[in-house]
Amino acid sequence: MSARSAALVALCALAARPLAAQAVRYAGGDAGVSRVRLKSAVPGGGETLSGVAAQGQARLILGRVSLEVSYAQGRLSADTGAGGSRDLVDGSVFVALRPAPWLAVKGGPHLRAYVAPSGTERWVMWESRVRAEGPIIAGTLFAHVEGRLALSSSVNVPPGASGARGGEAGLTLRGPQSPLWARLAYVVDQAKLAGNARTETVEAVVLSIGFGGR
Amino acid sequence: MKRAAVILALVALAGAPPRAARAQAPAELLGRGLRAYQDVDYDSAAAVLRAALAQPGPPALSAADRVRALAYLGATELFRERRDSAAAAFGRLLLVDPRYRPDELVFPPEVSNLFQEVRLTTRAVAVTAPPLSEIRAAGDRLIVWLYATSNHRIEVAVLRANGVLLRNLYSGATGDSLQVLWDGRTATGMPAESGLYVLRVDSRGSGGRVVRSVGLPLDLAQSRGDTVPLPPPPAEALMRPEHAPGGSGVRALATGLAAAAVVVVLPSLVSGGSGGMGERFAVAGALGVAGVVGFQVRRRPQQIPANIAANQALRLSWQRQADAIRAENAARRQEVRLVVRAGAPRAVDTP
Repeated sequence: MSARSAALVALCALAARPLAAQAVRYAGGDAGVSRVRLKSAVPGGGETLSGVAAQGQARLILGRVSLEVSYAQGRLSADTGAGGSRDLVDGSVFVALRPAPWLAVKGGPHLRAYVAPSGTERWVMWESRVRAEGPIIAGTLFAHVEGRLALSSSVNVPPGASGARGGEAGLTLRGPQSPLWARLAYVVDQAKLAGNARTETVEAVVLSIGFGGR
Repeated sequence: MKRAAVILALVALAGAPPRAARAQAPAELLGRGLRAYQDVDYDSAAAVLRAALAQPGPPALSAADRVRALAYLGATELFRERRDSAAAAFGRLLLVDPRYRPDELVFPPEVSNLFQEVRLTTRAVAVTAPPLSEIRAAGDRLIVWLYATSNHRIEVAVLRANGVLLRNLYSGATGDSLQVLWDGRTATGMPAESGLYVLRVDSRGSGGRVVRSVGLPLDLAQSRGDTVPLPPPPAEALMRPEHAPGGSGVRALATGLAAAAVVVVLPSLVSGGSGGMGERFAVAGALGVAGVVGFQVRRRPQQIPANIAANQALRLSWQRQADAIRAENAARRQEVRLVVRAGAPRAVDTP
């Protein structure tokens, strides 16, 4: 059994009982824009691209379990290097468990593609994420940090993927007695090709407006 | 013989008899007079009845005995052929009781006829009122009944104790009886103040001159409706604390600053020190500012919304009760209760 399969089975086992016991409580979602920078490094050189991406997320929350789907797309232009522009497409589906109100453990597939005239580079990563959230002002202002680790990863570019990791931190402002909220976050993750042939670091500052559950 | 009997009677009244008369109660004299009348000893009857009526009180004759004595005195004088004296006795009787009529089974027709003649020429009114009357509502009245000896013109008014007119109640003719009502108010409609008043009835003669006045003393007491005390405001002990003491705020500051630090160092942790985009410092700054704001906010006393709502409900409930009682008291203050005590009527002016 691969590490990917083991993680998936474990997550499903954890989610099975809470899912059966819980009814749908509420749903939520958000939409926003992000300033994205892609830094692609190869031994002895590299290139940097940046642009703006639109992104959105939807959540279905069942007590301590939630299902999260996200999608982002944008166009990146070369800041340095000889490469041309390319499109960034990013999507993920995660099942999240909340063992404590301030803690969430997530797992699921994360797909990313760079679409260029010369071809499309596709990454598939099975990721595990741990997210902690704490109030700065009770009921109104929250801070969060998140760590990301790819349990398995693959890419359609030789010599293949060797791993990925990342993180996120930010704050969320929620109006008193209001379902609306706003989030400002910084996200970074890095994927590596085998043998350190290339590293691709994606950073984004995300500003989004959400409704309902977070 | 008759003359001798009268002399004897006068002697009896003027000499030793006065001591006897003084020793006898007026009621006994009345009994003696009636027996003399029955024995057709009219001279004796007249003398004894006059003695009974002349007794100063107390013990004087009661009003009923006085009427009886005067009726028999009038009949006696008529039989003694002293018509003027008889008429005078009947006139006095009518002033005491204008409603009196001779019993035709007791007195012969000539007595009744003379009484009737006197009654029709006598202008007098008897006044009766309940000893205690209460005027609470708009329809309540003091009810006064007037009984007249004959048809004549009367005027009824309420006067203050000093004789100043308070309100005219009636002016016009009266028949056998008349009901006069007073609502306890002045001519302007204001409730009369507490104090002594007189309900005065003037009987006018054929020339319009007042021939007799009767006054009914009235003791009027005015009182306002009792008001209900306001409920005390909710005791402080019943109120819940609306604020919790402020915390240190350090946790909020630490949370914000820690998250800001994570943003700053995250590129180093993830990509091993390879730069990091400058825009992330905006996020780190926002987190730092949020931490400082949270630090300040948490140091302030924190409101407890549930307790605030509970206290507001308590205050609102008291306010509603107080408003209802204020409205009730305002209505009660508008109510004026008058208690009128009527005394014994008396002739205040006999021309």
